[in-house]
Amino acid sequence: MLSALLLLFATLCTVFGMAWFALAKESHWVQVRGPKPLTPARQRILRTLAAISIATSLMVCLIADHPTMAALVWIMLLAASALIVAFTLSWRAHWLRISVAWLQSK
Amino acid sequence: MFANFRLSMTWLHTWFGLVLGYVLMACFFFGTLSVFDREIDRWSIPETRFPAQPMPSFDNVLKPVFEKLRAHPDDMAATAERVIGPLPHPDTMRMSSLYAYTTHRDPVLGVGGEFDIPNKPKDPTDDHLHVHGYATIDPRSGATLSDDQLKIGSEFFYPMHYSLHLHWLNLGYWIVGLAALVMLAALVSGVVMHRKLFRELFTFRPNKSTQRSVLDLHNLTGVVALPFHFFFALTGLIIFSGVYFPLGETLLKPLAERQEVLQADRTGLAHEPAGIAAPLSSVDAMVLEAKRRWDKRGMPGEVGYLLIEHIGDQNSFVSIFRAGSDQVASVGQGVHFEAATGKVIREDPPPTAVTAVNDYLAGLHLQQFRHWVLRWLYVVGGLAGCVCIATGIIFFVEKRKMQHAKANVGGARIVDALGVTTVTGMVIATLSILIANRLLPADLPLRGHWEEGIFWLAWLASLLHAFWRTAPVLQSRLAPAWREQCWTIALLSVAAVLLNWITTGDHLAATISRTYWPIAGFDLSMLVVASIAALSARALGRRERNATDPSDDDQDEPVETAHA
Repeated sequence: MLSALLLLFATLCTVFGMAWFALAKESHWVQVRGPKPLTPARQRILRTLAAISIATSLMVCLIADHPTMAALVWIMLLAASALIVAFTLSWRAHWLRISVAWLQSK
Repeated sequence: MFANFRLSMTWLHTWFGLVLGYVLMACFFFGTLSVFDREIDRWSIPETRFPAQPMPSFDNVLKPVFEKLRAHPDDMAATAERVIGPLPHPDTMRMSSLYAYTTHRDPVLGVGGEFDIPNKPKDPTDDHLHVHGYATIDPRSGATLSDDQLKIGSEFFYPMHYSLHLHWLNLGYWIVGLAALVMLAALVSGVVMHRKLFRELFTFRPNKSTQRSVLDLHNLTGVVALPFHFFFALTGLIIFSGVYFPLGETLLKPLAERQEVLQADRTGLAHEPAGIAAPLSSVDAMVLEAKRRWDKRGMPGEVGYLLIEHIGDQNSFVSIFRAGSDQVASVGQGVHFEAATGKVIREDPPPTAVTAVNDYLAGLHLQQFRHWVLRWLYVVGGLAGCVCIATGIIFFVEKRKMQHAKANVGGARIVDALGVTTVTGMVIATLSILIANRLLPADLPLRGHWEEGIFWLAWLASLLHAFWRTAPVLQSRLAPAWREQCWTIALLSVAAVLLNWITTGDHLAATISRTYWPIAGFDLSMLVVASIAALSARALGRRERNATDPSDDDQDEPVETAHA
């Protein structure tokens, strides 16, 4: 059960990490937040958050499983999360607003 | 030949990818199904729908099974072709070695034995003078399952993804090996030719032209699952490296034989029998000792693989390997015993770095571990591979069909028809074998052969349909074959779930309520397949209608790409 919860948390970390990574790109930022500029400062924040989140996911995978297994789980989670984010962007882009709801509109 | 490196990579990616893409599609699709091969086996053989069992007692259950095991008629026939004179009667053949193999997902147990024969080989270099016997048993009772029942998952879909069931001269292995090599080249060349790999990492624009959308999807599924695609193509080649580089059986045969003898001397596991009869001690006691040793090493576990060599001889030994449910490597931590006394000969030391890497690479592909999340993630990776290959084929057609229509050539149509056959046609063939499995009489002789025949016939029918219904491609229009085969998939998927219910009583409410996930998961997956196929068919219908409407979406929008 603990292992399942850890893997769920790792999945959330990679999905949010990939979402922040995508939103740090101007075109996806516009898709999600409308024609509001993505400032360089925000871009840096989003990229940093993405890196921290994806690294956290690796740590959690390493806690949940033996390192040899965790490496496989993490790499595959990255792929699955990137697909989830890409399909969400093309189908229901506004859903990703939740990942940047804490950023005030400027 | 080409103006620059990118163009040469584009040519390689396009043409090699196209020619072997059809094979790769089969490898990825059936490889993906193989992630759940045991569960598909449970669906296709309803009497094996009971919980997974550990390796049973050898002394009480397996010993009588092996005493009754005889050389298999199929292997008798194959061996008879290779040797001089008639083979002895199976009842008179002496079993020289045996094995039993199971995993944490197997309710049934695979057993087999090797029988000595006195015949001389027709080819003097052929030194494999044995006939094999094999069977599947219920480990709770030792009862043998009927040989006519095809384990569709592990005996048909799984070998399909690495051998294509083309056994003549191992042709299937070679074609798949070449395809895997091309896959590696296609991945590298794909990265070289992709102009916006990072900028468009998350880009998929379904509302753009078909050509643009499929290229987006091709790039997306190719790039995000790149490590998966690369490692599965590479590890597939590594697993069968012995087939592709049979040095130990050809150029370096004397060295390989010498190495076997030296290894036997070093490990104490005899290479040859002594020629002196000896009894077999209690194997159950040896299993207990092996488990005690695994416990002591801090890795308690169950037996995954059991092997006895030189049966009935003084040099006979019993090897017991731990199931790799909790590790990437399939089996390991072998403990070897003298068969006559039960004394430990040797406990395998920790693997060397090279062996550990090899076991890891093979294990990550063979996936006998207990990790359901990773299993499903493999399905995602495999399906991403299928989408990547399918969209590559569709992109090829979309890019050329207008040009081919103007020039009045049928190249795009042929590629499209073959694409339909290998994408939707393969799914139809897969569903057909499952439906045949539920409809054919239970006591039909050679039932498995009938099921396989229906699979190939259904695939042939989808090929004929694909060639018939891709004629509009000649006028640069969308082929209705895609839509029609998607509807067929939707209908067949629902039919498979209903037939399972009707013929076994295992409807979804029942299997979910008793949390029997091998069947519940399979039926739910079938319904998901049906939904996706129906939605795809509707979307394709809309595209077909829009294509005749001049106010269509941006059909003529140029696609900026390096793809040829």
